[in-house]
Amino acid sequence: MNHSLFKKALSNPLALAGFIIIMMVFLLAMLAPLIAPYDPDDINVKAILLAPSWLHWMGTDGLGRDVLSRMLYGGRISLLVGLVAVGISTAIGILLGAIAGYYRGWVDTLIMRLVDVMLSIPSFFLILAVIAFLTPSIINVMIVIGLTSWMGVTRLVRAEFLSLSGREFVMASRTLGAKDARLIFMHLLPNSLTPIIVSSVLGIAGAVLMESGLSFLGLGVQAPQASWGNILTDGKDYIQFAWWLSLFPGLAILITVLGYNLLGEGLRDALDPRSGSNK
Amino acid sequence: MLIGISLISFFIMHLAPGDITSNEASFNPKASEESRQKLRELYNLDKPVIVQYGLWLKRMTTLDFGTSFASHQKPVFWQTTDKDGNITKGLIQEALPITLLINILGLIITLALAIPLGIIAARKYLSWQDRTITLFNFVGFSIPGFWLSLLLMYWLGVANNWLPISGLHSINYESMDTWGKIKDSLSHLLMPVIIPSVTGLAGITLFVKNGMLDVLNQDYITTARAKGLDEHKVIYTHALRNAMLPLITIIGLSIPGLIGGSVIAETIFAIPGMGKLFYDAVMMRDFPVVMGILTIGSALTLMGNLLADIAYAWADPRVRRGVARE
Repeated sequence: MNHSLFKKALSNPLALAGFIIIMMVFLLAMLAPLIAPYDPDDINVKAILLAPSWLHWMGTDGLGRDVLSRMLYGGRISLLVGLVAVGISTAIGILLGAIAGYYRGWVDTLIMRLVDVMLSIPSFFLILAVIAFLTPSIINVMIVIGLTSWMGVTRLVRAEFLSLSGREFVMASRTLGAKDARLIFMHLLPNSLTPIIVSSVLGIAGAVLMESGLSFLGLGVQAPQASWGNILTDGKDYIQFAWWLSLFPGLAILITVLGYNLLGEGLRDALDPRSGSNK
Repeated sequence: MLIGISLISFFIMHLAPGDITSNEASFNPKASEESRQKLRELYNLDKPVIVQYGLWLKRMTTLDFGTSFASHQKPVFWQTTDKDGNITKGLIQEALPITLLINILGLIITLALAIPLGIIAARKYLSWQDRTITLFNFVGFSIPGFWLSLLLMYWLGVANNWLPISGLHSINYESMDTWGKIKDSLSHLLMPVIIPSVTGLAGITLFVKNGMLDVLNQDYITTARAKGLDEHKVIYTHALRNAMLPLITIIGLSIPGLIGGSVIAETIFAIPGMGKLFYDAVMMRDFPVVMGILTIGSALTLMGNLLADIAYAWADPRVRRGVARE
């Protein structure tokens, strides 16, 4: 993204608010080893299920581990899963969408059929089925979320390509003898970038939610490694005794997802001339 | 379309390392290799994958998804009567109505709230009411439903003991009178129904708002106002009907999400619906049940989309004429 575009995007108050939230969450997660007061995996039988206090700001869990420290380390996982999963789905989406939108014909029909089929299987069922049969791990969660959420981007890229292909600058370039690759990578793709970025940012929000849901069900990030989702699982088990185990990880997910959503919607408003006028 | 779905769901099942026999054998350490082989033959697991798919597809045309590995006597779909005349209901047959009931009730609540909110936001565009609703929408989009469930469970169920936190009925359900039964069911359903509606509310409200904004800028609305119609009539008879059209499609498209979302909600509240059944089946590697649900879930989605298309044609005469002309 060039400088002026970046500036324009952040002049939107929503986008700016979202950007600041995300940066803060990232900062906290990256600094986890420095600022976490305890070792996140350190079991302390003398400090089981302590309520929040000056010693343990967010209390301790059923094994006496410090919840704040686990939250900070868990944040790294949740953020990473969101980014990588969306990276995968965006890459697949751009590839398939570009092929379908550029070459059209039977390839297009085939890809769009596949999109329809994938869209009609309840995606959470699909993810759950695949994850459960592979061994649950961070890598698998990222791959599976990525492999089951590329359909939106594919449709988006295809639609952009179809509408851009008819534009004069593309035809001019084609007339001048530009090769397919040049047309795709120099003309079509850069001009479809804005909606792709917007949908990716919103996609990260969805992926973070998805990961926390999977981890919550015990099919995502596995103990002892912390993630916001699996701290919440403990929260569910100890709901009668320890409200802090449920409250804080959920808040963290809420804030992070809210940040991505604000950023995405803000970017859409700021960068997309179509939505600016009629909204 | 359905064939594509069945292919995908079938081959996903075979990505799985290990099979049901390893699961069953672990319950019974004495199970020999020979008896395992018998089990595999029983479920056709010894044949090549492609043959299994063919066999499965053949049975599927009669909606027979095979017998659940986990609860042997229970077929996945449709009831059977054994030789003593005992009726055994299918697992999906038992679970589907519960999930449908919860989702339909939830959808009604969502719409009942989202449409007025969306209209307010559109009419008072950029006012404080609109901004409040927008803020609420962003939070609604971002809130993890299962977390909201946990908080409410703690607040309403554990801390105050106002509502039951799991299941569909109380233990003493059978001994209650009719009124007591209704009250008992309602109090069990309240949280599972309301929580998904709250999280679904945001999207629909935003949608109604944008639809209304588009429609309110149209010439015929200006005409209606110029004719001197009162604002109430303009909004509710002229604008709303047109603004609702895209909503039909959105509701159709949201069906897979609703069914998928029921996994977490039903697991939390221990409700014996499709979501819980699916989760348990996945955990048990119960292929017939998993594939049955994947297929039925997808078929429901397709049916939902079809219904949405029909409803659209019914609501919008332009679409009907367009179809007739083709």
